[in-house]
Amino acid sequence: MISNLPTRYVPDGSSGRGGFSDVIYCSDTHLERRVAIKTIKDPSEEKRLSDEIAALLQIRSKHVVQLFDVVKHDDSVAIVMEYIDGEDLFTSSYHHQSEINLLKVLWQIASGISDIHDVGLIHRDIKPNNMKLDNEGIVKIFDFGLSRNSGIDAVTIGFKGTQGFSAPEQYTHAEVSFTNAIDVYAFGITALFLATNNIPQELLSMPPGKVPVGAFDCPYLDPYPTLKALFERCLELNPVDRPSISKVRNEISKFLLFDEHQAIVVVNISQGSSLLNASRRNVKIALDPIGSFEIHYNGLNFILDKVKGEVFVNNILAKSKNEIPEACVISLGGKWRHSRERSFVTFDVSNPEVTL
Amino acid sequence: MKGPHKQDDIVDDRYQVVGFVGEGGMQFVYLANDLVLDRQVALKTPKNPSAEKRFRRSAVVSAKVNHPNVAKTLDYLEVGSRAYLVEELVVGGDLAKSILEKVDYVDPFLVARLFHHLSKGLAASHHANVIHRDLKPTNIMIVDDFQLTGVKITDFGIAKMATEELIEAAEGGEDSISASDTAVGALPYMAPEAIEDPRGVGLEADIWSLGAMMYELLTGSKPFGSGLKAVKRIISADYDEIPSFVNSNPQFGHLSDKLVTLIKKCLTLNPKDRPTADELVVQCGLFCYPISERYFGTMKTPNNSNWGFISEDSIGDVFYHVNCIYGSRPQPGERVMMSKYSGGGADRALPVVRMKK
Repeated sequence: MISNLPTRYVPDGSSGRGGFSDVIYCSDTHLERRVAIKTIKDPSEEKRLSDEIAALLQIRSKHVVQLFDVVKHDDSVAIVMEYIDGEDLFTSSYHHQSEINLLKVLWQIASGISDIHDVGLIHRDIKPNNMKLDNEGIVKIFDFGLSRNSGIDAVTIGFKGTQGFSAPEQYTHAEVSFTNAIDVYAFGITALFLATNNIPQELLSMPPGKVPVGAFDCPYLDPYPTLKALFERCLELNPVDRPSISKVRNEISKFLLFDEHQAIVVVNISQGSSLLNASRRNVKIALDPIGSFEIHYNGLNFILDKVKGEVFVNNILAKSKNEIPEACVISLGGKWRHSRERSFVTFDVSNPEVTL
Repeated sequence: MKGPHKQDDIVDDRYQVVGFVGEGGMQFVYLANDLVLDRQVALKTPKNPSAEKRFRRSAVVSAKVNHPNVAKTLDYLEVGSRAYLVEELVVGGDLAKSILEKVDYVDPFLVARLFHHLSKGLAASHHANVIHRDLKPTNIMIVDDFQLTGVKITDFGIAKMATEELIEAAEGGEDSISASDTAVGALPYMAPEAIEDPRGVGLEADIWSLGAMMYELLTGSKPFGSGLKAVKRIISADYDEIPSFVNSNPQFGHLSDKLVTLIKKCLTLNPKDRPTADELVVQCGLFCYPISERYFGTMKTPNNSNWGFISEDSIGDVFYHVNCIYGSRPQPGERVMMSKYSGGGADRALPVVRMKK
């Protein structure tokens, strides 16, 4: 099939095929590693390869496949990409091993799409078959053959995309203009498929209809009603009603880090410090009879509660049921009092980061 | 421009030299334009062309590792007798230039974050059975200095070459060790078994080196000192006691204690008793450190013995309490690095670390 690749690339006999392209797996003899080489079947589709090259060169994301080389092939070109040793998300079962695994996969997909949108691109073909999970548990998005810059040239004639994953606005018969909200829609369907292994009939019609009530109900997502509601909003029929993908990513990260936060509470320095976290959720601090308060950790936030008397957060009178700023000084006793009648508590949250 | 190339040289019709980045013990590094893909890359070539064979082995080895915390190997080529390795361009400086040369020591929050990311990169390489062998601050690339936008281990392959040189140096005795730049730079981070039996080192040697680097970040001193005197102390795992400022402040003590415990485990004499990279990833994951942006400012005259203000470069005055300072208290007029959080009146700084002059 591939007749004239540079000699450094030796086909290893395996191959795959996509809608408009063939992928040949080769050994790169210079670096003794596998690479995936993508060629087009029909020379008239060359624009799709050049779009893909342009897209891959703009994006810097750990969740997007790496481009190594562009080589001549017959009358056209072929692109040489890193070979991802792992399953695509259509066949992988990693995300069904635990709720956290599903959230990790969805967070990475949302991060990857967010990186793509950050450079002004739209992927246009987000689906589980176009993502792979590598041996280190990193999700990589590939197949940018349909990608476009957002803005005025985001117009196409006729349907381009994958049925079931394409947003309603992509089915308009005349000239179709679109925004990066189509990737958010496709993310919503991808999340639905990965969580439930099913795409309801209403969403498979052309164009798709409203998402059925309870479509996201499943053991993996039932613990996270907020996320279910957010994913449903990704499937809003009107693109402007869908959340941005960075918002989706940030919301997922909150739950990935659930119960992982820690706060350090230091009372008057000399009296030592205590930690608040999942194993110790409450602390009560009092300077009788001047004032007292409690801090409670609910897994997502630290909440100031049961405030009595003179309690100030960063010099502002404190109220119960409020989230505490991530680093602050809580003082008991007003400024007018003698220092013996005042007590200072420093409060600092360690926000964990999502690492994969 | 040093080495075999000058500006605008084109290597193999593809890589156009646009600048000189620097040199390591073994290689010259150029900034180059990849003319095929129209992007910038790092182009590396050995200082000693006769090392070509080892250079290729090193490229093949590093190409096996694929992780966000490891600089990616993009290409390898030979032109005549000269070999080239093309690597992802990491825009930034190495850990020594970006961090160590700017502050006396690094606050535990930032150390924990670096430790976590480096453990992950190392775990990915150890999964591929690749030993780095030469982990040291100049082999770690940092994007955006203290913001740590990127943390990438580099020169995996080169390490094997360096090892060959180190072995020659070690077998040649003290004169050749001090003659080898590579050996001098690597020595403070070298595991005892890498000194005693360089050909037999395993993955555990990288764990030791990582521990030694984290020790230096947290305390500001190399655990065994530097120069040849360090050798004797390394082979008996005789590191300096951790200075008291590291743990004494309750604002940092909880995290410092955990960091010190883990660092000491990495610096265990028997390689088998050290944690694996996977175990380090798990332990670092439990640290819980803030990832807030870093700012820079100048200490003002303190309002009293306990607190005062820092004039922040772009925003204005930031409140500090002495207990938010990691290490020695900076004098008025001295530069500091800090994170800050919004507060009533003025923002509040935590942590505050003095910068070198």
